[in-house]
Amino acid sequence: MTAAFRVYRRWLRDRVLSTVSWTLGLIIIIVATAAFYPSLGGSADAMAGGGSEAMSSVLGLSAGIDPSSPLGYLWIGLYANVLPWTLMALGVSLGVAALAGDEGTGALEYLLSGSVTRTQVIMGRFAAAITVLVIASGLSGLSLVVAMPMFDLTDSVTTTLPDGTTSTAPGATIGNIVDGTISAFAIALGLASLAFLIGSVTGRKSVAMGGAVTLGVGGYVLYTLSSMTSSLDGLTWLSSWRWYVDDVMLINGLNWPVLIPFGVATISLLISWWAFLHRDLHSS
Amino acid sequence: MTTAIETRHLTKQWADFRAVDELDLEVPTGECYAFLGRNGSGKSTTARMLLDFIRPTGGSASVLGGDGRDPAIRARVGYLPGDLNLPRSMTGNDAFDYFGQFRPVKDTAERGSLIDRFGLDPSRPVRELSTGNRRKVGLILAFMASPELLILDEPTSGLDPVLQEEFRDLLAERKAQGATIWLTSHVMAEVARVADRVGMIDEGKLIREMTFEELRHQVTTEITLGFRTPIAANRFDGVESVTGVAVDGSDLRLSINGPVAAVLSRAGELGAVRIETEQNDLDAIFINLLSGKSGS
Repeated sequence: MTAAFRVYRRWLRDRVLSTVSWTLGLIIIIVATAAFYPSLGGSADAMAGGGSEAMSSVLGLSAGIDPSSPLGYLWIGLYANVLPWTLMALGVSLGVAALAGDEGTGALEYLLSGSVTRTQVIMGRFAAAITVLVIASGLSGLSLVVAMPMFDLTDSVTTTLPDGTTSTAPGATIGNIVDGTISAFAIALGLASLAFLIGSVTGRKSVAMGGAVTLGVGGYVLYTLSSMTSSLDGLTWLSSWRWYVDDVMLINGLNWPVLIPFGVATISLLISWWAFLHRDLHSS
Repeated sequence: MTTAIETRHLTKQWADFRAVDELDLEVPTGECYAFLGRNGSGKSTTARMLLDFIRPTGGSASVLGGDGRDPAIRARVGYLPGDLNLPRSMTGNDAFDYFGQFRPVKDTAERGSLIDRFGLDPSRPVRELSTGNRRKVGLILAFMASPELLILDEPTSGLDPVLQEEFRDLLAERKAQGATIWLTSHVMAEVARVADRVGMIDEGKLIREMTFEELRHQVTTEITLGFRTPIAANRFDGVESVTGVAVDGSDLRLSINGPVAAVLSRAGELGAVRIETEQNDLDAIFINLLSGKSGS
């Protein structure tokens, strides 16, 4: 067994309780949201901002998504905000804890007093943090797959329009949930890796936490403002929310921008690794 | 004789603060070297450079003939930091299992023996342990692999006197088995039984190195003699080992460096009715050395 795997396994073991707590919390939120579909599905228009154009844009509804359909309801109730934000919060806490958290207490220094290299530590810790994020995302998606049929979310919905014609919206499928969950995981992965990067470069937990939260919230604010004014259009590429909300992968399926956070994670890991190899450890 | 630790002009500077300044050290294999200094003098910074936690801004350091960056070298070193923090969910056994993987354990029974010796309950989570018990975990971690080199930063900090004594016994045993020991301390008793040599550091500079025997000669004992009536200071003129006399009412305070037989004999002749002794601790000697009051 390599030293990196030992580091990976131990870090996961130390986070069993917090991983279970986060995952259970997510599952409760998801199942509760799904459970309200039969009673709230018809009033989802109100949830979607009551017709406000800016709010509809922020929620990705400008592309003609029907908020009263199963997928529209899941998008508004979970995937447009609650799920990515919760996964991002988990991702930031993991990204910060993986290196900077232990460095602040001196535990990282003690680990490195043995026959383990900085490369093995940083790779093992990064992989462990991403594993927790994958577990939490995967199980939350799985819980929705299990809960959907119980609350009519897999049923198609036919509505009669004022002119007497009918419109049928499809029910949610496992494929929709897989795509939506992967895109939510991806946006959290990007921010988690930025938190890891800041922690690895600075060795400071508070800086990593503050920096990652600023990037996460700042990206959302930038995207929100850009839906109200075109003067920020040139900057929206900085925000992951642009592709996440505009592309609505829960409904439209995965497309290439979902790879952006994976690229960000790879580059972040490489910079983190280089910086960690070349700097002093901070003492507790 | 091979060298376990060697530094040449080792320097660590942060901005305009020089924590370690051109440090030259040479610790032969099998020696116990006590690195003494006040808080912030550069002791821990030196230890952290030896193990590559921080990188020198000048000079070089060699550990067990190699570089502290090499994990194979660190595997042969037992380390106790000044302030050991372990993941709080770990139990003592978890810590021994986990960190033990990164150091080759030659004798698996050693761990159990050390646990018994220090009276530690290894099944309790670290977060529930007192400062002293957490220190025991750190000492067991440092010693359990029977390393060739022990780097111990303030090792008895937080231990009660009984355990300090146990620790000193353990150090003496490991030294007898051939281990090299490099420890930082400001506790005289800690180094008295095991140290072969001491180095004194202040403001990052090595200001003095001497054998422990030389250091012991720096130790003076203060003896206070009580008399029924005041006694003139010159009554102890020429008495062997007396280096200073002060009068305080009917008491005489004598500074002694050496055998006390002649002092006690003269005290008896003069009719002393009370005797109190006090030994200068290492801090006092260190302060004397710093201020240049002590000769070599």
